[in-house]
Amino acid sequence: MEVSHSVKERTIAENSLVILLQGLHGHVTTVDMRDESTATGRITNVDAFMNVRLAEVTFTDRQGTVSHLDEFFVTGRNVRYVHIPDEVDIRATIEQQLQAIRRIRYFGGRDKGRKEFPRAKHK
Amino acid sequence: SRRGPSASRTSRRGPPAADPERIQRLRSLMVNASPEQEAAEGGAAARRRRAPRNVLTRMPLHEGSPLGELHRCVRDGVKINVHIRTFKGLRGVCTGFLVAFDKFWNMALTDVDETYRKPVMGKAFYAEPQLTLTRLFDRLKLQQSSAKKGADSKTASEELALTKDSQALGLKTGSGRGRAEDERERQKRLGRAGEKKVTGDTLHLTARGEADVGSGTAHTEGASAGSTRARSQSRKKRQPKVDYQQVFTRHINQIFIRGENVLLVHLAH
Repeated sequence: MEVSHSVKERTIAENSLVILLQGLHGHVTTVDMRDESTATGRITNVDAFMNVRLAEVTFTDRQGTVSHLDEFFVTGRNVRYVHIPDEVDIRATIEQQLQAIRRIRYFGGRDKGRKEFPRAKHK
Repeated sequence: SRRGPSASRTSRRGPPAADPERIQRLRSLMVNASPEQEAAEGGAAARRRRAPRNVLTRMPLHEGSPLGELHRCVRDGVKINVHIRTFKGLRGVCTGFLVAFDKFWNMALTDVDETYRKPVMGKAFYAEPQLTLTRLFDRLKLQQSSAKKGADSKTASEELALTKDSQALGLKTGSGRGRAEDERERQKRLGRAGEKKVTGDTLHLTARGEADVGSGTAHTEGASAGSTRARSQSRKKRQPKVDYQQVFTRHINQIFIRGENVLLVHLAH
């Protein structure tokens, strides 16, 4: 599970469907973009703003020209669709990612370390 | 430190090497002592002072709002039609079953049939009339039926009549009834039309007719529809050259749609 190191990104991801895309790390998918171009490749990273990094990409631009790229990055706003592979269970992937976040958040035990949501201190 | 162990966890795929002492040490550090406990943790709020708030728990929270309707679709497995937008106007429709959504209207759909049209470029881009839902949906379905069926010149006039009717209908009811009802009417009418065959010329005609309407308000629509029909008779011989108006259909098993591109969501009864 590759959870972001940033607390802000984690919470954004946790409360939106981007977390589903984050669960697709390593899967080969197609990303359709706003300008009708498409990129098919292996998802390396998706951040909370839906910026997607792909590797080993077949990029078809909106004119239809196909090219092969080693790495590909698209801004979150320019994404329109992300095709989800058939073998991926949407609900389960979301749950797994949420668990990963929970694991990281509560890591270190109850009374150790700096906490993300500090408990009310007793006087 | 906090970072170290978690970094190692993310870089590994399977369980770590079975060193019992190491496992003991890690266990003492972890809040959840075992995987089973961790799974059960999701249900019980015993250790959490507050209820977990994440995308899944937020889905039922929108009761009473349009997003609450979306949640009903998830819960009841209602088939929905999601209209997708392009920078200017309607791109197409995705029909499928909603699995998850969020407040941005990002949606995860399953068993999706997408019907769409590539955006218009070039001269036609400037000539294209202002988007109205009824008109574009009309054109979409019209082209869809024409794309699927073969060409038959005889029924071209019937199709023209239909087009004129739909436009006239749009004129009358655009202000009155709700758009959704309009759509259904249109679909019903075009469903009948779909059974008849349509020419590529009609396709051409519709595009031309609407381009001529210009910035078309509902009023001019009815007026020029008549003249359009007359013009079409002479154009029947012409080969369809409006490739960019072609409608595509594809089936996708699972898709994620970014909410920004959603125009509207229509529940299919």
